[in-house]
Amino acid sequence: MKIHSGHNLQIPYAAGLVLALLIIGFTGNIQLADAADTYEIDTAHSMILFRAKHMGITYNYGRFNEFTGKITMDEDVSKSMVEFEVKTASVDTANEKRDQHLRSSDFFSAKQFPVITFKSTKVSMKEGEEDVLEVTGDLELLGVKKSITVDVEITGKGKARGGESLIGFESVFTIKRSEFGMTYGAGAVSDDIRLTVSIEAKGE
Amino acid sequence: MLTLKQLFLGLFLPAVVSGGVLIFARSLSSKQDATNTGESETGSSDWLIAVALSAGYIVGYLGLEGLPSFPPRLGAHWLCYLAVIGLIVGGLWNFSFWGRIITQVALAVIIPRLLLAPTFRHTWGQLEGIIWWVCLAAAIFIFWNLVQQSFTILPSGVSSSFVYFGLSGGTALILALSGALRLAQHGGVLVALFAASWGIALISGQRSDRNRHLFPSSASPVVALLLSGIWMNGYFFEEVPTASAILLLIALLFVHVGRIEAIQKLGARRSALVQIAAIALPVLIAIGVAIARSGLFGDSSGY
Repeated sequence: MKIHSGHNLQIPYAAGLVLALLIIGFTGNIQLADAADTYEIDTAHSMILFRAKHMGITYNYGRFNEFTGKITMDEDVSKSMVEFEVKTASVDTANEKRDQHLRSSDFFSAKQFPVITFKSTKVSMKEGEEDVLEVTGDLELLGVKKSITVDVEITGKGKARGGESLIGFESVFTIKRSEFGMTYGAGAVSDDIRLTVSIEAKGE
Repeated sequence: MLTLKQLFLGLFLPAVVSGGVLIFARSLSSKQDATNTGESETGSSDWLIAVALSAGYIVGYLGLEGLPSFPPRLGAHWLCYLAVIGLIVGGLWNFSFWGRIITQVALAVIIPRLLLAPTFRHTWGQLEGIIWWVCLAAAIFIFWNLVQQSFTILPSGVSSSFVYFGLSGGTALILALSGALRLAQHGGVLVALFAASWGIALISGQRSDRNRHLFPSSASPVVALLLSGIWMNGYFFEEVPTASAILLLIALLFVHVGRIEAIQKLGARRSALVQIAAIALPVLIAIGVAIARSGLFGDSSGY
């Protein structure tokens, strides 16, 4: 009897449990959607600059005018992701003839390699520093893929006038161009190229 | 501005290597002629001419670029392999007529597809790619045959060396004016090779019939493949003006003025001068177009 009555009691109890699980699952889903926010790079408020030393004397600066990218920020930072694509033909040093030379196969080989790509493989918070991420990823330049690790500072978070969420990053790091097979003009242009990537990204 | 190292590796060393093999080939050819009846036109030393050009270019390539990647990552990396292919084809050149034709057609078809793989992938649609592919294969095949014909139509080894010296020099200059300085150095290697052959042809004397033609047709694969490779790199991957590219490609067509009876009647020396002038004219116009497009006299400068 006891068993019978218990069985009767179990039906509404099980239904309640299922309902509770559904609610938890539903809210959990909402939580997950909040936890992983995807942002598109806003190129109007972003900049990719590079710096090279000319003849060991002066720093020359240039930028890439066309690039796209996507950033996924997760509450669990290790699940965050960064993807970039930079158009090599958009190189701009404010000197048309030098830009033409930079687009040639002496440097970026823009016709053979129209894009430089970066795809993160690991993201973590930098130990002992607030709002600084350590991003490891594959940088592909001139068809050579190399893993690099860079520090990325989260420069700000907020809302745009239209209500979209905004996030800002900046990273300054140096690569050796020769490691990517860009060896032309070793005497005239430094091997070390410093890149400054300043990004404003808008929530999707 | 070329550094001393670049001048040594890209000009002097290729010229010495190529010149050394050419001198050896000519001494071997003299010995063969002394022992043979002299009826055979194609001696074993013929292939050495292809070796001289190919080895000279490979030495220059290695000096400028180092070992090429395999599979080639950049279009320019193919140039070293084209020199090797030219050398192998040159070695097998006299075995069979049909084998030669099939090899020419096969290479004319395969090389643009391999060298221009990024353009096929990123720039051309399917139909556009096929049209370009057919046109380029036909152009390479025709150009290769023109090179072959030029070796016999041009009246002497001096004139044929000089024509290719000018064609390579024009190519190097146009590439440099178009901002492709590294590729221009590859043209410069060819200039060094033909300068060496020109010098040797001048010194050894070209008046005797035995020495009339410096380049046997088995040297045509190296010359045709290297020039085609450099031009394709220049036009499709750099900023060489279309008019300059076309003018360089068709310049050799003018070698046929040597077949005009009125020109032949001018005598060997004058006829050679007319042929050289006819080939030089489109090359000079091509250089002029590149100068006009380069902004050479503007105030901006490259690296």
